[in-house]
Amino acid sequence: MTPIADPTKTETNATTMAVKKRNGSLEPVDVNKIVRAVQRCGEGLTQVDCLKVATKTIGGLYDGATTRELDNLSIQTAALLIAEEPEYSRLAARLLSNFVRKEVANQDIHSFSQSIAAGYRAGLIAERVAAFVTNNARKLNSAVENSRSELFEYFGLRTVYDRYLLKNPETREVIETPQYFFLRVACGLAETVNEAVELYNLMSTFEYMPSTPTLFNSGTRHPQMSSCYLLDSPQDDLKSIYKKYTDIALLSKFSGGIGVAYHRVRSRGSLIRSTNGHSNGIVPWLKTLDSSVAAVNQGGKRKGACAVYLETWHSDIEDFLELRDNTGDAARRTHNLHTSNWIPDLFMKRVEEDGMWSLFDPKTVPHFPDLFGPAFEEAYLEAEGKKLFMRQVKSRELYARMMKSLAETGNGWINFKDSCNRKANQTGAPGAVVHSSNLCTEIIEVTSNSETAVCNLGSINLAKYVTDGAFDFEKLSANVRTAVKFLDRVIDINFYPTLAAQESNKRWRPVGLGIMGLQDAFFLLGWAFDSKEARELSAKIQEEIYYHALSASCQLSVERGQHAAFAETRAAKGVLQFDLWGVTPADAARWDALRDRIKAHGLRNSLLLAIAPTATIASIVGSYESIEPQVSNLFKRETLSGEFLQTNKYLVLELKALGLWNEDTRNQIKLAEGSIADITEIPADVRDRFRTVWEIPMRGVIDMAAERGAYLDQSQSLNLFIESPSIGKLSSMYMYAWKKGIKTTYYLRSRPATRISKTTVTAKAEPLPETPVVSEGDNQGVAPEMADAASAVACSLENPENCEACQ
Amino acid sequence: MILDPGLNLTLRPMKYPVFFEMYKAAIKNTWTVEEVDFSHDLTDLRGRLTPAEGHLINRLVAFFATGDSIVSNNLVLNLYQHINSPEARLYLSRQLYEEALHVEFYLTLLDTYIPDQKERNAAFSAIDNIPSIKRKADFCFKWMNSIYGLQRLDTPEQKRQFLLNLICFATCIEGLFFFGAFAYVYFLRSKGLLNGLAGGTNWVFRDESMHISFAYEVIKTVRQESPELFDAKMRSQVVEMMKDAIECEMAFADDVLNLGVAGMSQRDMRQYLQFVADQRLKVLDIPPVYGSKNPFNFMELQDVQELANFFERRVSAYQVGVTGEVAFSESF
Repeated sequence: MTPIADPTKTETNATTMAVKKRNGSLEPVDVNKIVRAVQRCGEGLTQVDCLKVATKTIGGLYDGATTRELDNLSIQTAALLIAEEPEYSRLAARLLSNFVRKEVANQDIHSFSQSIAAGYRAGLIAERVAAFVTNNARKLNSAVENSRSELFEYFGLRTVYDRYLLKNPETREVIETPQYFFLRVACGLAETVNEAVELYNLMSTFEYMPSTPTLFNSGTRHPQMSSCYLLDSPQDDLKSIYKKYTDIALLSKFSGGIGVAYHRVRSRGSLIRSTNGHSNGIVPWLKTLDSSVAAVNQGGKRKGACAVYLETWHSDIEDFLELRDNTGDAARRTHNLHTSNWIPDLFMKRVEEDGMWSLFDPKTVPHFPDLFGPAFEEAYLEAEGKKLFMRQVKSRELYARMMKSLAETGNGWINFKDSCNRKANQTGAPGAVVHSSNLCTEIIEVTSNSETAVCNLGSINLAKYVTDGAFDFEKLSANVRTAVKFLDRVIDINFYPTLAAQESNKRWRPVGLGIMGLQDAFFLLGWAFDSKEARELSAKIQEEIYYHALSASCQLSVERGQHAAFAETRAAKGVLQFDLWGVTPADAARWDALRDRIKAHGLRNSLLLAIAPTATIASIVGSYESIEPQVSNLFKRETLSGEFLQTNKYLVLELKALGLWNEDTRNQIKLAEGSIADITEIPADVRDRFRTVWEIPMRGVIDMAAERGAYLDQSQSLNLFIESPSIGKLSSMYMYAWKKGIKTTYYLRSRPATRISKTTVTAKAEPLPETPVVSEGDNQGVAPEMADAASAVACSLENPENCEACQ
Repeated sequence: MILDPGLNLTLRPMKYPVFFEMYKAAIKNTWTVEEVDFSHDLTDLRGRLTPAEGHLINRLVAFFATGDSIVSNNLVLNLYQHINSPEARLYLSRQLYEEALHVEFYLTLLDTYIPDQKERNAAFSAIDNIPSIKRKADFCFKWMNSIYGLQRLDTPEQKRQFLLNLICFATCIEGLFFFGAFAYVYFLRSKGLLNGLAGGTNWVFRDESMHISFAYEVIKTVRQESPELFDAKMRSQVVEMMKDAIECEMAFADDVLNLGVAGMSQRDMRQYLQFVADQRLKVLDIPPVYGSKNPFNFMELQDVQELANFFERRVSAYQVGVTGEVAFSESF
């Protein structure tokens, strides 16, 4: 910790304050200048009070603060008012945008090509991309549309600034503006200027966004642009176990999330022949993996992340379920690993009929991990008949343990091995087996000890597809085709940290196009999340995406050749995802024609779709995540860049129209943890549409997931939400999900048992105090104060202790 | 009556089930220090803090080093013996564990933040050599000692003395000193700094909120049983005590902020403390004294649900002690 020097001053009530400029010189605080600067950014914004921001900014200032601190303070001040009025988000974004522009311009970077040149000189940008930009500088520079930065909400821009813009390695100053950043990513994937502009336009209009690794690394010297890696379990020997640690470290170094199976490694109590001792099972190995994952920091941007998958028959399953517990022996806990169950259908059947379940040592049944469906069941029954198991447990007790672990830690995700394998395009030929999903449970790809599966992701932002109260399917189809082209391009340009990953990706060429902002689309259309219209649209969107993605991949196959393993896929035999679900699309003729084209020309990609959680990219474009209902009408986001408060902007519009957007309503929403269900002043239909995920039955969410699943060749990161979980509720819910044919589920989210007391609102309406109370500065309250605001600014500076006018 | 002298051991029929429910709820919020990830904090401490912020954090952790120990001492020495309800004592036992956990959290925090042993020892002995922290500690000791000699609460005056101690610890110490300290933590977090500290503080905050609610519940019970105890004199004593506490906390603020921290001024801190004090008084049915409003918008962040991006933070919302039987027909 920095040793603290003796205080240089103790008094801050000087009559005039000074700010320190970037060159170190002191300048008296010019109140008007600050007010003007904020006002310039507030042009056209009708709901924000620029004086209030300027006043508060000055109120938080101390003598000798730097201009940089001053700028940051005004941004922060505006940001903290967003909960009161969403338009402050725009103001904060514009202030930040100016700040970024200044930072870039101060390094003599005034155009896109100069930004790339600076990045190249700093050793960040790849030579190929630098040359491409130099050769096409004029056209590319004129493609930049600075006005599109207006689309940013504050959260999005802050995230981009803090984490995505390339920084000068020495000074740590950003060398690109948000628009340069989008164009840099596009140039990294383009072969021609037109292509670069085509992708830039998709991104800068927020209609489509590639995944974070692509945004981080495209165009750079280490273009590792894949989001996910799936590794088969290490073999049951020391060398293989340690080799796997190395692979995982290499893959997570460049922003990839890891899914790794562990069911080939022998369990606790198994005999080790060479030393005649007994094995300690998988937990000590996972403990080592835990430390290794925490040690690998993804370029200083985030910690590595890894999910471990274990099949339910592995006899260390109970230890595995305890890995994330809060209590117990720390040597047997792995707080950095995510845990995930890989459950065969047979287990669910045993649970249903209240049967026993046998647990095996993989050393005794080494063939289990490579079997699924009837072949697995046959092998399992045979081994059980021969009494090869280590022990037996009541299946319901184990199932209850799984539910408990989910509710208590959110971990121990429930994923169905047989659904994943049966409904996978890659498992068309014998021997091809999906051994796990990935970190976020949306990727379903085969792995083996020579193949590490890889997936590149991107998401369509559905918030941008509703025009004039209707969903724009034409725009969707065009953009899906473009997105697929560039996702496919990633495969060829990508930097592969391991050979096993490279080999697998060339053979299968899988990509994962997903969606985000489904909730936005429903808000824009005025539909409740689980209404009939919403459910139909959600399935229809997925069908259209699947159709156009397959068409695009088939077209790419004509142009550039099919992927090497096409003949081994189910699609080669004309079997598509919905066939595997037993679903017949409405427009069967169109699909039959496509099926024929695929059989004739092949596909460039074995897999096309996967719906990722989109946590960060959704905040960049300001949309609700993935396929999720809103969690709350008022919530904060915690990221590395600090905390942001977010209000449901659609609700605010609605309440404003009803004349109900005021401090009283805001406090009620806050007290109800973001719910408006019990605010009776609000009409019932509004309350219905703006229910939170805690108020929407999960049965409907699971139904929607299943309906979408028929047109989703990989899977979806399906979070489930239960306010107060019990074993009974959870076991009912996951049994239902299994029966609906769901492949994977993700976190189970619940709420804390007790709440933090509210610091800024009080629940009880107390009788009004006799002492004078200054009215709260909401929008209604501020208006009359406007006239005096300028004098308030002045007086607060001269006599900060006594001035109450602007509080 | 709950303050009657004695050692009631009878849990059934349960006279004050609300305390038992609070005990159960508290258990569901169990967390451990091991879950707190300090790795980003170290990066921040080494490079991202301004000297003024460094000074702030130095003072703050020095306060934390002893704050919770004082509370647990009062709990053991003064509260437990007089609150004569077995279910309330269950809660107090749980609270005692939580205070110990907080002490462990701050111990780990200081060990992590201050690698230099001499500096670290100085932080731990802050109540002796940092005047602004000593002043707060003296305030606590004064109220702790005020009833230390009381073995039984026989007279109304003794009961009032006890209540003043309880109110002091709930509203002034946990409810004001800690809330002041939390404000610094959340201020830094709103600037994206010291996420580990903020993460652990979230959990401490959740626990402290419960402690305060429990104390309120005891006060409410006493008041229903013996309304006459809450007379005008007592009200004015509470207000005076609150004013005194604000001055102690402001002396601390003057010290903590003396290098000038952009975004947090002494003036705002005073207003915030007055605002918090008013809230505390309201719950005690005492009219607010200051009429101040909360100047710290970042504290509003604390009031809303968290939605953590799991790549970056551990979600702190999971429950402990989930029960029930496997079933297939429950609604979800």
